[in-house]
Amino acid sequence: MVATFCCLAMYAQRGYMPFNDDEGPAIAPKDASEKTEWAFARLMYPSGRFFGQAGYWTIDAPKAERQFVQGVRRLTRIHTRSKEEFVSLESDEIFKWPWIYAVEPGHWLLSDEDCKKLRDYLLRGGFLMTDDFHGTDEWEVFMASMSKVFPDKPVVEIDSSDAIFHVLYDLDDRVQVPGIVNYPFHQTYEKDGRVPHWRAIYDDRGRIMVAICFNQDNGDAWEWADSPHYPEKYTSQAYRTGINYIIYSMTH
Amino acid sequence: MFEFFFKYPATVFSKGQFVLLGAWPAWILAASIVAIAAGLGWRLWRRSGFLTGARPAAIWLLQTLLAALLLFLLWHPAISIATLRPQQNIVSVLIDDSRSMSLKEDGATRLEQAIKGLNGVLEPLRKRFQVRLYRIGKETQRIEKTDQLTGSATATQLGEGMIQALADTSTLPLGAVVLLTDGADNSGGIDRDTISQIRQRQIPIHTVGFGKEKVERDVEVSDATVPARTLADARLAADVTFRSFGYAGQKAKLVVRDAGKVLATQEVTLKGDGVPQTEHAQFNAGIAGAKSYQFSIEGLTGEENAANNAVTRLVNVESSKPRILYIEGEPRWEFKFIRRAVEDDRSLRLVTILRTTQNKIYVQGADNQKEFEAGFPSTAEQLFGFSGLIIGDVQASYFTPAQQDLIREFANRRGGGILFLGGRETLSDGGYPRSPLAELLPVRLLDRKDTFHRDNATFDLSVLGRDSVICRLEEKADRNAERWKKMPVIADYQEVGEAKPGAVVLADVITAGKRRSPLLVTQNYGRGRTALFATSGSWRWQMLQPVEDKTHEMFWQQLLRWLISDTPGRVLTSTPKPVLADESRVRLRAEVRDKTFKTLSNVRVMAHVVGPEGIAADVELNPAPLEEGVYTADWTAEKPGSYTAEVTVQPPDGAAKVVEDMGRDVLMFRREDGVAENFRTAQNRELLEKLADQTGGRYYTAKDMSKLADQISYSEAGITTRETKDLWDMPIVFLLALMLRSMEWLLRRRWGVV
Repeated sequence: MVATFCCLAMYAQRGYMPFNDDEGPAIAPKDASEKTEWAFARLMYPSGRFFGQAGYWTIDAPKAERQFVQGVRRLTRIHTRSKEEFVSLESDEIFKWPWIYAVEPGHWLLSDEDCKKLRDYLLRGGFLMTDDFHGTDEWEVFMASMSKVFPDKPVVEIDSSDAIFHVLYDLDDRVQVPGIVNYPFHQTYEKDGRVPHWRAIYDDRGRIMVAICFNQDNGDAWEWADSPHYPEKYTSQAYRTGINYIIYSMTH
Repeated sequence: MFEFFFKYPATVFSKGQFVLLGAWPAWILAASIVAIAAGLGWRLWRRSGFLTGARPAAIWLLQTLLAALLLFLLWHPAISIATLRPQQNIVSVLIDDSRSMSLKEDGATRLEQAIKGLNGVLEPLRKRFQVRLYRIGKETQRIEKTDQLTGSATATQLGEGMIQALADTSTLPLGAVVLLTDGADNSGGIDRDTISQIRQRQIPIHTVGFGKEKVERDVEVSDATVPARTLADARLAADVTFRSFGYAGQKAKLVVRDAGKVLATQEVTLKGDGVPQTEHAQFNAGIAGAKSYQFSIEGLTGEENAANNAVTRLVNVESSKPRILYIEGEPRWEFKFIRRAVEDDRSLRLVTILRTTQNKIYVQGADNQKEFEAGFPSTAEQLFGFSGLIIGDVQASYFTPAQQDLIREFANRRGGGILFLGGRETLSDGGYPRSPLAELLPVRLLDRKDTFHRDNATFDLSVLGRDSVICRLEEKADRNAERWKKMPVIADYQEVGEAKPGAVVLADVITAGKRRSPLLVTQNYGRGRTALFATSGSWRWQMLQPVEDKTHEMFWQQLLRWLISDTPGRVLTSTPKPVLADESRVRLRAEVRDKTFKTLSNVRVMAHVVGPEGIAADVELNPAPLEEGVYTADWTAEKPGSYTAEVTVQPPDGAAKVVEDMGRDVLMFRREDGVAENFRTAQNRELLEKLADQTGGRYYTAKDMSKLADQISYSEAGITTRETKDLWDMPIVFLLALMLRSMEWLLRRRWGVV
């Protein structure tokens, strides 16, 4: 009851935020069909419906990735597509996209087949970045599926000396990147997720397969990078984190 | 038969000089024949009787020939020939005592047949000459009796044996040499110098051949070519050459072993009798160390000689981990998956430079990150420290002109391997056609842009690719080809022109539009090699196949090992004969270069040789007269077994001590005794006939050896006397006269004018 109330209250507040909610269908960029080395591949996963809309996997899409890939294009030499790709564990097409992004995995409900395919994908060399889930409850939901993907591998905190924090940008000093719900950002956490975590699941050779951004919302930081109301320092870190994660996945 | 008609052996006619002993000069004989011919012709013309047409001419011819023959005999024809004086000359009899003479044929060994034949002629020879017996094997030794022969010598050196026998009698009247052998010489044959030395003394060599001239049922492995050095776990390719007799069309097995352990087996179909056949075998070199691989043909029954079915070759599987430098112009999946593919490779190390942004590079695998602070190496010392180089999606203009020259010299002078990958900013799309780098590529580049396509395409293995160590995923060639056909498509490809002359296309790409373009091409360049893999999409082989599938890893490990396995170090040692089959002399050769791989002339090169039973020696190699930076030495391997020579370079005597390592290399060779005699066991009649012919002797088979005693006397060597042998009483003369007279009578009878 309390959670429902909170959600409703949050939802009711949306109209008071100085942000335009334009997460809906966007016009494809002119060069959307360009064939490139890398594209932002967003994972479609089964979950409950988000306030009666599409599943949780759609949150921030496509504006977050479209803004983020502009940064990837400008700041790196990665041949990047302007339009995102939606990939699903139901199809083998996912194996053609070795970097995938899952938003709100605190709500995912992966089937055994999904878990098996995700495990296969990651062991073959795929890379998963998860983002925008907060607090104990969502962690437990996340782990309920992830522990089926890798029952034998622990989730560990990434050490600041790890290459993923230095492959392009040095990210020794990191802060909690708040979601838009935190406006006007007097606090940066949601639920009981006060402390941001950069966690990972490593393979047997010490390479990160799953990079878990917990208690933070890089997706919102990308999405609202064009808003003067969203603090630049969070956007900067989110861009740097995302770019480091991509380059890491293309080098390790 | 010859002697029956001509009274004397053919040797008398071939060596002797024809003379007319009659008192009247030969022109009177000619004039007399002309006069008789004219007289007979006049007589027949006057009294031809019933003879008409050509008949009188036929009768005239027969009568003239008969008259000429009788006149010829009146002039006393004879042969003048030099013969050895009895009991004043020596005849040396050389008997091949090698193991090949122990081969049993027709119920007796070749040696037994030789001794039997020799015993038959020894007594008559001894009545006329002093006979010296020698046994020829690896060395030549004088013996008193034939029972000292054992047929156990491990090699046959006929040339040296004859020279030694001649030297033994250099101050004595040697009349002739008799050589009893199967002609199976395994010291490399009888060279021109040896023949020349024998001819100088004008000693006729009479050869007697033993053994079958053609083997009935046998397989003989004659050679196996394999690199002298390779890297641990590298895939090795060997070409095994052999000949078979009596097994045409039958199946046999080509087996590769290392210390008894089978490394590879493949079925071969044997070709026709005596036809040289070369089969390609591949196997894994395994862990580092001195390896002695055995290549054999097995699985046949009824072979006459099973000891010649295998040869051994030495390979130095190096424990070093050569470095490959990979420069990549932008983050790409291919980069990540190549790195992963060779991560576990024990035989190489990948150092990568990746341009992550316009102004930043990310270095992985380097001991010292600062080494690459300035980006791609710009000095020979720095770049030539690597054995291989991979150039990814990098524009030609990214390299300075000096770096481009350095890259060319990396292959040309340093002997390294360079692999070019496809990409949107490289090759034709990266300004390569108009840069010096185009010369390095094994293909011609298209002179246009937009050659890189991010479209799925099929990897199509060529015929040459099937036998390549780079593309071998399965032991069996047909299964390997099948596996490649089932491979997932690659993510992209780059169009290139045709392969350059001398380049080898291992695979083509087949596009969705069914167009074909070279994809994987290799070539030798200078002292090194270059290759092109015109795609950046092989990572799909990893992502689109099960985790357990190791195709992607195998392909890249094999490609990169190929790239560097022949890359020489600063010291490159070699020997012409790594396996000394019943030989002891070995030539050590070292090519010495400095850090920039320019030849080094003024240094001291030492080899520390370690062999079996505690043999150890330090050998100094001397500069070769005509080759800069090359040092050689000859050394004798005293005992059979494996030898290792560690060659090191030191400053010249008197020069200041240099702390740094000036380079070293390890050379391996092996002396094998008792092996050579198992090979080329058929009688080499051609050699024996040639030897006899060139020295004025004669070739005898075992059967007609008995004639030797009579014919050996006709020699110009030693102490001789000239004999005159009448020809008038040769049976052939009487037969000829009788035949001429009979023919005239028969013709007259036929024509009814008798």
